[in-house]
Amino acid sequence: VEIVYSLEIGAVAAVAAILGSMLGLGGGVFLVPILTLFFGIDPKLAVGASAVVVVTNSVVGSTNHLRSRFTNPRLAMLLQIATATGAIAGALFGVVADPRIIYGVFGVVLLYAAVSMVVRRVHAISAPPLDTPDPWRLGAAFRDPAIGSDVGYIPAHVTRGMGVGVGAGVISGMLGVGGGVIMVPAMNLWMATPVKAAVGTSTFMVGMTSVATAFVFYSQGKIDPTLVVPAIVGVFLGGQIGSRLTRRLRAQRLALIFSVILLYLGASLILRAFGVHLPGQS
Amino acid sequence: MSEVPMPEAEPMHPDVTATGLLAARTERLTPLYEAAIQTCAWGFRLGAVLLALGIVVTLAKGERLVHEAAPFGDVVVMLRGGSAAGIIDLAIRWYRLGPVATVIVVAASFWRLGDRRYAALSLVVLVILGASIALALNR
Repeated sequence: VEIVYSLEIGAVAAVAAILGSMLGLGGGVFLVPILTLFFGIDPKLAVGASAVVVVTNSVVGSTNHLRSRFTNPRLAMLLQIATATGAIAGALFGVVADPRIIYGVFGVVLLYAAVSMVVRRVHAISAPPLDTPDPWRLGAAFRDPAIGSDVGYIPAHVTRGMGVGVGAGVISGMLGVGGGVIMVPAMNLWMATPVKAAVGTSTFMVGMTSVATAFVFYSQGKIDPTLVVPAIVGVFLGGQIGSRLTRRLRAQRLALIFSVILLYLGASLILRAFGVHLPGQS
Repeated sequence: MSEVPMPEAEPMHPDVTATGLLAARTERLTPLYEAAIQTCAWGFRLGAVLLALGIVVTLAKGERLVHEAAPFGDVVVMLRGGSAAGIIDLAIRWYRLGPVATVIVVAASFWRLGDRRYAALSLVVLVILGASIALALNR
């Protein structure tokens, strides 16, 4: 029975990692709702497991994104100051919060993520302006294999991006999602960073953000190896597949994928916050 | 006159368009990218070996996975006793330290490349992560 349970957790983690890596969301966005809604697992244990798993997913995904130069290390370090600080604050709140608050906030975040996917597709930034002032020297370029040429960009509105980073960190620390769900659309829409660079940079960042979360949850005894171990194995397989798919797909296609799943999971969690269980859920 | 390397100076690049200059700036970071890739890759591989070893020992000894990660002091005792749970706890810990190691490598790479500003910013990130580690050690 335990082996079957572990295999189920591993399979769910693999699917979550594929989706998370392709969208730069880190996997936790899908993992925590599935574990809580369909396996009936305590949301705080799910968040703790997710935080560790997101770290692993980030390490696996970052290797490929760094190789492709989708990751902007300067942008990552600058934003990470805000995100990691927020993550510690969010995690300290998350470990003591009422589970209904976790469900409700998670549901709202998923609905936001679903809407932002659609908005990002409509307003996709394919050719960011290169005359933007660059006092932080954040401009970079990468070769986009989907179009066969270099893409240069200069992230804009850095201060606003750091402000969003604090919020993303708080959400990440509270929910174990890594922060990519907020940072990818923010970097793309507000900071004029191409979606692949936003995904690559976010994937690199979510590991550091989630590590802060994981340490705080560990300090409160919310890391359960029976969840973490099969999830890490699943994430390894899923992360490899997801990051390779990202390199082959066109940017616009990434934007709309799975927004319907996010809508469903988000609505389910909000209903769960009010004590409503949909059919087929634990 | 001795030639002093200019940190942050843009190298000459055949493509003088804005994208070409940004590509040249990114190329300058190649040692940083390579170091970060190696850290991520080896960090994951060593973690995978530990985790696989823990799973094999768990199955071989017929042990059950515990439902709560042990405090660090207990892990050392468990490892000395050849406990599978101790090996698995160590693997989980190893994974959590991976991004911290990556930040150290990134900071060192920025420093070596002459980018003092981002070396300092990376160290700030390291201090923040250190605060969360301090919380965990106080468990």
